[in-house]
Amino acid sequence: MSVNNGTIYLLIAFILLLISALKDFSKTTKVLKVTGIIALTVFPVLFLIFILMGTIEAFVSKESIAVWLGSGSGILSIVTGEILGCFALIQPATIFPFAGFLHDSGAEYGAVVGFVMTGIAIGVSTLPLELKLFGKRFTLVRNLLTFIYVFIIGIVFMVVL
Amino acid sequence: MNDKRKIQTHKITRDAITYLIIAFFIWGIASMLSLSKGFLIGEVVYSTFVNIIEIIIAVFVIIGLIQVWISPQKLSKILGKEAGWKGLAFASTIPLFIGGSLFTIFPLMKMLREKGASNAVVLAFVSAWCGKVPLLPLEVEFLGVRFAILRILLIIPFAIAIGIVGELILERWRAVKYDGGG
Repeated sequence: MSVNNGTIYLLIAFILLLISALKDFSKTTKVLKVTGIIALTVFPVLFLIFILMGTIEAFVSKESIAVWLGSGSGILSIVTGEILGCFALIQPATIFPFAGFLHDSGAEYGAVVGFVMTGIAIGVSTLPLELKLFGKRFTLVRNLLTFIYVFIIGIVFMVVL
Repeated sequence: MNDKRKIQTHKITRDAITYLIIAFFIWGIASMLSLSKGFLIGEVVYSTFVNIIEIIIAVFVIIGLIQVWISPQKLSKILGKEAGWKGLAFASTIPLFIGGSLFTIFPLMKMLREKGASNAVVLAFVSAWCGKVPLLPLEVEFLGVRFAILRILLIIPFAIAIGIVGELILERWRAVKYDGGG
């Protein structure tokens, strides 16, 4: 008898929801509303990401992904992964399926973690908002430092994994 | 308040439709170039979707639970008050459990700042938020346990370092400006 991982997660989520409902019913309806909004926000982006994954699989050879993000290009692949992440769509939940796809296509762990981290932390599309809320200096310092530290994390990943 | 919510829902719906149109557009172009490749794309979409639908729903419910029971606003109120090392320690760990994207986290950081948090705390806050513990099931599914654990372990020192170094740079920058300008 094998139980799918997903089923276990779903069961845990359902039990937590039940506990929440027993403790405070109105709060739990709010939980469901929040979950609905998250689903409405993330699912379309997820669909687009899956389409992109399929398109890349259909039109880009594994070799060329491996050339840019594989171990062949060494630590440069981390930088390539990071730059790719900066342009990724802003929903973090969509980063992991795409990152897994990149790894399956021959991307190296250092490049994958570079993509994941900048995909979450740095966004070309959120830059205008960051500049508006925090100013030029803060934005420059945060993004630059993040980029540098993610590079270091990428090296650790290359060595350890 | 009600109006604001209406505008928000309106924006989410509009964004959703935009993403779907772009996706179908790409799919359509690809299928016109080669019908078999169009089918291949459909297969990838379907198999990935079937693979993660349960995990995705579970993750969304858990994020919803966290957001309602431990509201980010409450957390940032606590973080704004704590100064010094304690503040940095909180800021580099607690945000690991907060959901959302940069669009939702920036206003929170702004609030933190207005409540008197230092640059170090704000920088550590957003860096630690990249830990994304609520998405852990997804990360494990696609990248493996070792990847996920190593990444989350590295996040905390990463957040502290960015907080401290960032604050030093921003402070020096300000000092230079005032010295030079005088």
